[in-house]
Amino acid sequence: MSSHYEAPIRKPLIIGDKNYHDVTVDVARPVEGRANKQWWIAFTIALAAFLWGVGCVAYTVGTGIGTWGSNKTVGWAWDITNFVWWVGIGHAGTLISAVLLLFRQKWRMAINRSAEAMTIFSVIQAAMFPVFHMGRPWLAYWVMPVPNQFGSLWVNFNSPLLWDVFAISTYLSVSLVFWWTGLLPDFAMLRDRAITPFTKRVYSILSFGWSGRAKDWQRFEEVSLVLAGLATPLVLSVHTIVSFDFATSVIPGWHTTILPPYFVAGAIFSGFAMVNTLLIIMRKVSNLENYITIQHIELMNIVIMITGSIVGTAYITELFVAWYSGVEYEQYAFLNRATGPYWWSYWLMMTCNVISPQVMWFKKIRTSIMASFIISIVVNIGMWFERFVIIVTSLHRDYLPSSWTMFQPTFVDAGFYIGTIGFFFVLFLLYSRSFPVIAQAEVKSIMKTSSEKYKKLHAAHDNHSHSEHNH
Amino acid sequence: MKVLYKIALLAGISAAFTSCFDKSRPNYQYFPNMYEPIPYETYSEVEAFPNGKEGQIPAQGSIPRGFTPYEHENSTAGYDLAKANLKSPLAADEIDMPRAEQLFTIYCAICHGDKGDGKGNLVKREKFLGVPSYKDREITEGSIFHVITYGLNSMGSHANQLNQEERWQVTHYVLKLRSEL
Repeated sequence: MSSHYEAPIRKPLIIGDKNYHDVTVDVARPVEGRANKQWWIAFTIALAAFLWGVGCVAYTVGTGIGTWGSNKTVGWAWDITNFVWWVGIGHAGTLISAVLLLFRQKWRMAINRSAEAMTIFSVIQAAMFPVFHMGRPWLAYWVMPVPNQFGSLWVNFNSPLLWDVFAISTYLSVSLVFWWTGLLPDFAMLRDRAITPFTKRVYSILSFGWSGRAKDWQRFEEVSLVLAGLATPLVLSVHTIVSFDFATSVIPGWHTTILPPYFVAGAIFSGFAMVNTLLIIMRKVSNLENYITIQHIELMNIVIMITGSIVGTAYITELFVAWYSGVEYEQYAFLNRATGPYWWSYWLMMTCNVISPQVMWFKKIRTSIMASFIISIVVNIGMWFERFVIIVTSLHRDYLPSSWTMFQPTFVDAGFYIGTIGFFFVLFLLYSRSFPVIAQAEVKSIMKTSSEKYKKLHAAHDNHSHSEHNH
Repeated sequence: MKVLYKIALLAGISAAFTSCFDKSRPNYQYFPNMYEPIPYETYSEVEAFPNGKEGQIPAQGSIPRGFTPYEHENSTAGYDLAKANLKSPLAADEIDMPRAEQLFTIYCAICHGDKGDGKGNLVKREKFLGVPSYKDREITEGSIFHVITYGLNSMGSHANQLNQEERWQVTHYVLKLRSEL
């Protein structure tokens, strides 16, 4: 042990007197135990919201898009707002599991599993909007370049909406594989602990016969690294492609080169906020406060602060360039955002996204769980409004004053959105009771460097050897 | 053995899917959104009209643009008048013999024969008899046009198949055939 050097400045990532077995027990407890009343209440509410959303989607598909508040001028409103919002939320999961892996951030290990689950569940929500905002969703398969009987009629590869199809489907599948690969040792752990034949069978199937040999681990690490290397450009490109839906248009307020990085920064911003919201609840409910520590929350808050500042810089850049451009349409677009009929959404967005992350500069606030929780929700409200402002305020007033109009959502717009939130929580609640929510194999790998117990041992050992040396 | 089983399964599935298609009936359709017309299609059945047909007869006495009514009536007197007075409105450079020949071959030659000698295919196969040669009859351009328009005896009206200009073209071609007989 004396050969190991870790800076004493680093705080422990695993608190309490934990050994390997304790980690296993703590991670397996929510899966092996029974759901309590609160879980069932939360699940029922989420399920009701989900079913309500299913009803609204069925109504939309059965009756037509005219049930929504979109109109001839504002053809995209809540549908694409919610799509971009959900995709953005999904990005934090990949950021945590891939980018932080590339940067060798050990603190990611306690949160990456849930963050990836959040990615997958929110990308599923996002993927519903491109399908159900179609006028004829039953012909959605036409977006695929499949040989056919129309003289092999193909798709046009020039549209960012088609790139969206490829981006989202690739993102979902890569995330799913990455997530599942990481789950194999943990499912194996649950399999080996299973008492009933049913759970034994289920986790045997899920764990793909993982036996944890040295060669398996070596390949596991390589695959994780390669997938992290692939997922990082993927995560940047996916939201870039989503931003191309707007950036490649000719609409003043949309046609901007800043959108790709600015959308990605916003995605990380909102995604980390969502991870924070979920994990603050989860650490409490699942008794994982020793693994998801205040330091984890603080570090996520710092990421939120940084990306929030990037987003703030982007806002200022857009405003500067609008003024500097001398294009009256562009200038009016921003004047309209600030002082038009949707001024309240713009200022709500500005308040939530620019001011709220800046309070994280205060250590007292960023290490406060209650403050982090509130700010993380505020950030997600702000990021929803960012997408709403970009989409609706640019569309409802553009080149021809004769086509200026307003947008008013209907209950179906709201119902679909509520339904996706419900579906997300249905999936997440089921996940939190059946999956190992912390990557125990990874957490165990940092046990001897970063747990409180071993850090104390090291400190004692070092002091001892120092005193010996002084003799 | 396992491969064979898989192939059999695949064949069975594809047979199950394709067996639903009945050749005596139109095939199944996937979401026929704009397959059935909303407006009235020509020749379609329309319930809105008393006789159920899309094609309704125009009001009597109405004259469409670009059409001149034929003034001779369908009777022996009319035939005689047309024979004596009716002249072709086509100028010499408007007579298009190749086209006239095509029209004659399509609409007339099956009975009258390619040469106009009354030896068309139907006559040769003795489906019916009594088609005269153009040479045997005293015909003028007015009488030919009149007969194509109204028909005569066994011959029916061809005004449905040929418009006025085409009938004049055929008239000129008939006269040419007659001169060659």
